[in-house]
Amino acid sequence: MLPDDFTKPKVSEVVSITSHQLKTPISIVKAYLEALLSEDYGKINDKQKEYLGDALENIKRMSMLVNHLLDVSRIEERRYELQSQEFSLKEVTEDIIRDFFSWAQASNCQIILKTEKKLPLTISDPLKIRQVIENIIANAIKYKSPGQGKIEISIKKENNMLLFSCQDNGIGIPEDDFSKVFSKFYRAEKAVEMDPSGTGLGLYIDKAIIELSGGKIWYKNNPDAGVTFYFTLPIAI
Amino acid sequence: MNEKLEKPKKILMIEDDIFLRKIYRDKLTRAGFEFIEATNGEEGLSKVLSEKPDLVLLDLILPRKNGFDVLAEMKMNVNVHHIPVVILSNLAQESDRKRGLALGAEDYLVKTEVTLAEVVEKVKVWLLKQANKSK
Repeated sequence: MLPDDFTKPKVSEVVSITSHQLKTPISIVKAYLEALLSEDYGKINDKQKEYLGDALENIKRMSMLVNHLLDVSRIEERRYELQSQEFSLKEVTEDIIRDFFSWAQASNCQIILKTEKKLPLTISDPLKIRQVIENIIANAIKYKSPGQGKIEISIKKENNMLLFSCQDNGIGIPEDDFSKVFSKFYRAEKAVEMDPSGTGLGLYIDKAIIELSGGKIWYKNNPDAGVTFYFTLPIAI
Repeated sequence: MNEKLEKPKKILMIEDDIFLRKIYRDKLTRAGFEFIEATNGEEGLSKVLSEKPDLVLLDLILPRKNGFDVLAEMKMNVNVHHIPVVILSNLAQESDRKRGLALGAEDYLVKTEVTLAEVVEKVKVWLLKQANKSK
């Protein structure tokens, strides 16, 4: 029997607490795998290295899922925090493109950035906006069509907002899925086949970040191939 | 950093998880440091005062006294307020990071986001900065 004063915890509360508790075992397993891979305790053969490396990759994947779940529970409980400040959207984007350069090249993908030379600063949380842009560009690389991938990013001023767009020539999003793209756990069928490790929470979190910043996020399938994601952010006054 | 004739630098890790203490004890000892540990906030603070470590690696969610309180009390005590503190926690909210740094921590590392080797590097960097400061 439950005590009379027992109140059923909210699902989001349970998710939040469990996610946080999962972080400790994840960080422990990660540290132990890193210790073995560092060969501090003796040489390991190539097969052992490969398997330990795979285990480490999957621990990182689990860590990302936990972070996403924590973000989702904070969004749903309306306690997702943005640390807003003025920053250059262009600089953040350039920095991400530099970080992604080797991965894009290895994936046969070209990333082009087109912006006006002088753009005003925007106001939002630069780390969270970085997370949004990384997710959009990473999706464009992951879900490319066979052959040469092309990603065109543009940032321009439109009225009192900055408009960011990222156009790719990848596999696109089925028209039937139009209303679900920014929902929790949405993953297009083809996307699941191409990358089973995605959490399906990235775009849901991106939408919350952009809307909490006072902007909008949407996408359009391109007439020929691929998709273009757009978001707006307010200009700093 | 730890030349042969120099006394090894003493690192205090305040961490309630036995497995994390074990791996960091191993890693930091191998890197030439003297490693001491505490399993809760109260024990941690008392070891800071009695052992005067060269650097503290501090978890935040701790039994008996949380890491923020340990840090605040350390920074108010003139005998130990100079000791660099590196927070190593799984609280990843920006507000926690800001609070930790505002209370006087030198650095704020998130356990799931840093590697063992990176933590050792950070320890070396902050010890070097501290040594240069006291010159």
